[in-house]
Amino acid sequence: MGNLKLALFLAYKSIIKGNRWALFLIILVMSLSFANLILTPSILSGVTNTLDEQQVNTLFANIVINPEEDGYYLDHVEQIEKKIAQFAGIVGVSAHLNSSAVIDYQWRERSSPSDKGKSGNWSVIGIDPSQEVNVTTIHEHIIEGEYLDADDRDMIVLGIEITGGDRAQTPSFLTLEGVRVGDKVRLNYANGVQREYQVKGIFQAREMTQADRLAFVTRKEMASVLGRQIFNDRASQILVSIEKEGDESRLIEELKTIGINGEIRSWREYGGAVGGIVSSFDVIASLISGIGLVVAAIVMFIVIYINVINKKRQIGILRAIGIKRDVIIYSYLAQSLFYALLGVVLGGIIYGYVIQPYFNLHPLDLPIGLVSLAIKRETIQNAIFGIILAAAFAGFIPVLSIVRQSIIKAIWGN
Amino acid sequence: MIEVKNLQKVYGHGRATTTALKGIDMEVKPGEFIAIMGRSGSGKSTLLHILGLLDMPTGGELKIDGKEVLKLSEGERARFRLEKLGYIFQEYSLLEEMTILENVYLPALCLERENSYRKRAVEMLETVGLGERLKHYPNEVSGGEQQRAAIARALINRPKILFADEPTASLDVTSANIVLELFRKLNKELRQTIVMVTHEPEDEKYVDRVIWLKDGLVEKESGLYEYKAKQAIEI
Repeated sequence: MGNLKLALFLAYKSIIKGNRWALFLIILVMSLSFANLILTPSILSGVTNTLDEQQVNTLFANIVINPEEDGYYLDHVEQIEKKIAQFAGIVGVSAHLNSSAVIDYQWRERSSPSDKGKSGNWSVIGIDPSQEVNVTTIHEHIIEGEYLDADDRDMIVLGIEITGGDRAQTPSFLTLEGVRVGDKVRLNYANGVQREYQVKGIFQAREMTQADRLAFVTRKEMASVLGRQIFNDRASQILVSIEKEGDESRLIEELKTIGINGEIRSWREYGGAVGGIVSSFDVIASLISGIGLVVAAIVMFIVIYINVINKKRQIGILRAIGIKRDVIIYSYLAQSLFYALLGVVLGGIIYGYVIQPYFNLHPLDLPIGLVSLAIKRETIQNAIFGIILAAAFAGFIPVLSIVRQSIIKAIWGN
Repeated sequence: MIEVKNLQKVYGHGRATTTALKGIDMEVKPGEFIAIMGRSGSGKSTLLHILGLLDMPTGGELKIDGKEVLKLSEGERARFRLEKLGYIFQEYSLLEEMTILENVYLPALCLERENSYRKRAVEMLETVGLGERLKHYPNEVSGGEQQRAAIARALINRPKILFADEPTASLDVTSANIVLELFRKLNKELRQTIVMVTHEPEDEKYVDRVIWLKDGLVEKESGLYEYKAKQAIEI
């Protein structure tokens, strides 16, 4: 019988007839170590995924088309929208006409013209509501009133961090201190145009306070503010949502072929501070995984070491019979790998059928939003590789130290 | 079969050393049944461990079956043990995780010489009276039966020499006699060379020659005829 076959035979017998409690304990340690190795990174991935989703859903969609560096607007928007919509994998296209305005609330109650009252400067975005619903999810986050309709002209939708009130996170003096649906607000646009609007809806994207500091009017309204003749077919940017996340790069390359006179980028390039958080979380996840792996390796080492030490006499007898050191080492390596593989399978089952469903039902309620677990393929691969390597190490070292001892010492301990 | 010259064994280093063997010279011829006897601490087990290649001496020469075995590498010594030596320990030395049958055929399994190891293991176990215990695990049989299984295991590869380290020490009188009778039968019928360490003077009657050790040296040698003469005088 070849060395490997013999080693596998010895490993098989040892596993089948070895101490059941030791086997149970080793596999339990392996399973929990594996589940732990993928749990922490998947929580962090869940957080970054939530942040990513917020960025995509409320601010940027998947692909952002901005004017060239030397321009302020994109021209022939309607034509561009039609061209983009023809590509497979595109879910929606929405042109934004952006401006900023000082928004006044209860301006008639001011004591003097120099009284700032309840006002502030915010970004105002002109949208086509029927297109926007295919691109962002602001319409799903209306907490009071309604979303805009295509023909609305004197209506505005405000983010919760503009309106203020109990649910806003921003200090009240930086908000309009409690605007309600139906109230009137006055917008003093950057170009000097002043318009009054009725608040049609208030939204709270909740997790994404950046989006909650936006105000929306219809694009027709914004065009009329900026100058209807010029801005009817212009946009400050075009947002494009796609079917499958990860297809951004491919679609960007395809969109570049249709001659859009603008800069086409993935939303990730606009991630800004959130992008930094995501990168930091990746580093933290790697560090935690690394530490988790070392701890798992030490625990496995101790458990397997005790198991191997308990079989010291058996190892001595095997050597006395004439079985080579290599065969004995392979046999214990095979046992360790078996434990590791079973641990990975059971750990995967614990994660997939217990932990993940639990988090799906009861996501973590964090300030950034409801966070479920998200696992990356490379995290699983690294965890499997780490567990197997740690197990092999944990199996190899103690058996090597025993087979290096004299046979007599291994059998009789002196 | 075995040639030993000035064999020495020192345990420990520096001042904390113990000299177990001080220079043993001895010879064992093919087909002999030898007993090594002596008081506790005389070095008899140490000598047997070295002869059985389980331990290394600190000095001297050892030839087994014409080969200078001390010059072999660890791997070559393991192979030599497997092919040419059988070893029976003082205490039960079966592998707890294997059945009696698996314990016996394991050394044959390692040799790859033939596929009939299982059949031969069954025959060996029947020879030692354990034909009914093939699928039992060591903890399911008596001490005497375990020792007989250990003998079957030691013989499975048809070794040139069988070493036995106080094989009857942990057995009751009946089991001990069965084991020793088995040794004598192997020696007489198959001309199996056997070297046995024992502290039982009664065991002398089973062997051809006794090598007496004292303080790590060969004190004297005695033969069967001496035992018989002693018995006759007592009568």
